[in-house]
Amino acid sequence: MLTRQLSIATPIFVLIYVIQEAVVSQFRLPGGGFSILMIFALTWAVLSETEVAAVIGFAAGFLMDLSQSAGGPFGQWTLIMLMAGYAISYIGYGDDNVRANATGIIFFVVVANLFVEIAYVATGALLGVSVGSFTQVLITLFGMSIWALLVSPILLPVFTRLHALVFDSRSAL
Amino acid sequence: MRNGGRARLLLVILMVTSLFLITLDLRGVKVIDGFKQGSQTIMSPFQRAGSVVLTPVKNFFSDVTHLGRTRNQIEKLEAENANLKQRLINRKNADAQLKQLKSILDLAGTAGYKVVNAKVISNGSSQSFSQTITIDSGANAGIKKNMTVLSQYGIAGVVKDVYPSSALIQLASDPSFRIGARIAGSQQIGILTSRGTRSASLQLLDNSTTVKEGDVLLSRGSIANRPYVPGVPLGYVTGVDNSAGAVAQTATVRYYTNFSTLGVVAVVVSGSTANPGDALVPVKPRVTPIPTVTVFVTPSPSPTK
Repeated sequence: MLTRQLSIATPIFVLIYVIQEAVVSQFRLPGGGFSILMIFALTWAVLSETEVAAVIGFAAGFLMDLSQSAGGPFGQWTLIMLMAGYAISYIGYGDDNVRANATGIIFFVVVANLFVEIAYVATGALLGVSVGSFTQVLITLFGMSIWALLVSPILLPVFTRLHALVFDSRSAL
Repeated sequence: MRNGGRARLLLVILMVTSLFLITLDLRGVKVIDGFKQGSQTIMSPFQRAGSVVLTPVKNFFSDVTHLGRTRNQIEKLEAENANLKQRLINRKNADAQLKQLKSILDLAGTAGYKVVNAKVISNGSSQSFSQTITIDSGANAGIKKNMTVLSQYGIAGVVKDVYPSSALIQLASDPSFRIGARIAGSQQIGILTSRGTRSASLQLLDNSTTVKEGDVLLSRGSIANRPYVPGVPLGYVTGVDNSAGAVAQTATVRYYTNFSTLGVVAVVVSGSTANPGDALVPVKPRVTPIPTVTVFVTPSPSPTK
């Protein structure tokens, strides 16, 4: 079972990573843009059990660290996404108010996206990563949240179907 | 919670792994660099393909973004026939890159820099609050870490990481970008610190000197021309902070380079033997008087029969 899940999930993660790096990163979107990989990982984390969500977060964070545009030390995104994946699943998993409707998942993903970025800024400050002026950070955080809010509803059906394909659940929305 | 203990154990193991990775990276272990290098080597063909395929889409979005500013131009273009407009859109990208390249070569030629030209194949994600681009030339073309990168107007950034056939450029607009600056003419020196946008902050080093609006800033240069060659135009002063009690005067600077429209850049692989001084200061546009033609008409006498 685990082998089957891994063999399907790995190419999906790699494909999303390639789309992020080769397509989404081509555009310098106003307000900081969005990370399709982050939205993907957070969506899957909402739909998964805590231990699976932690592994999903770890894998997504590792890929984000591999990205050339990752500013901080290698492992920073891995740690943050791991924690985010676990936390979002811990709060949302088993709560049908969240998982049973698309609005709940989108809300969770957007809020988690914002908290992940705040965590990045906070840990970046501890690790000596420059993130710009306070105003600039606020604008970027706001812009990223708006982008996540716009993009998540479009991507949600695809991501939930992929999740159902891998984990053989009936969670496709 | 079901399997709560197992999940927590897994979380702890993964956290320790993440912290282990951070520690290794901060200690400068080469294995981590190898991961990134390998990933970038695999990704650069995809980025190149993405750049080629998505250029028309990017141009479209760029046009939409600048809609307000170029309304008059768009209105004129709308008047033209569809065929010519289509051809214009197709050629626009190539022409813009050619123009950028010509300006870069003029700039580099005036200063005597030896440069390697490269196309921008990816704009880095802003998720990490950093501002970077990826170019399609790397170590194979002689590019090394910490080399100055030029745009058609002046500084574009500095080479942050080099891969065999691509390189990561830290833009001058990146919040962590710092450069020693010199004011053209007065030769006062200071430190230019980016703010994450096209504007930057200049801190003069000498409290007895002054700066005024319109002053042009050039790079001061580094030892052995790395990371910065001297004499590269940086920007111009748009505002001066004259607050009382400040140790040294500070000013707001606007970069010459528009970082959102970079299509072609040049990496300075070898600086000039002599400091170019103020030779690269951009020429201010001159106002050309429009000649007025006055026509004197003398009424001819009424025709006679």
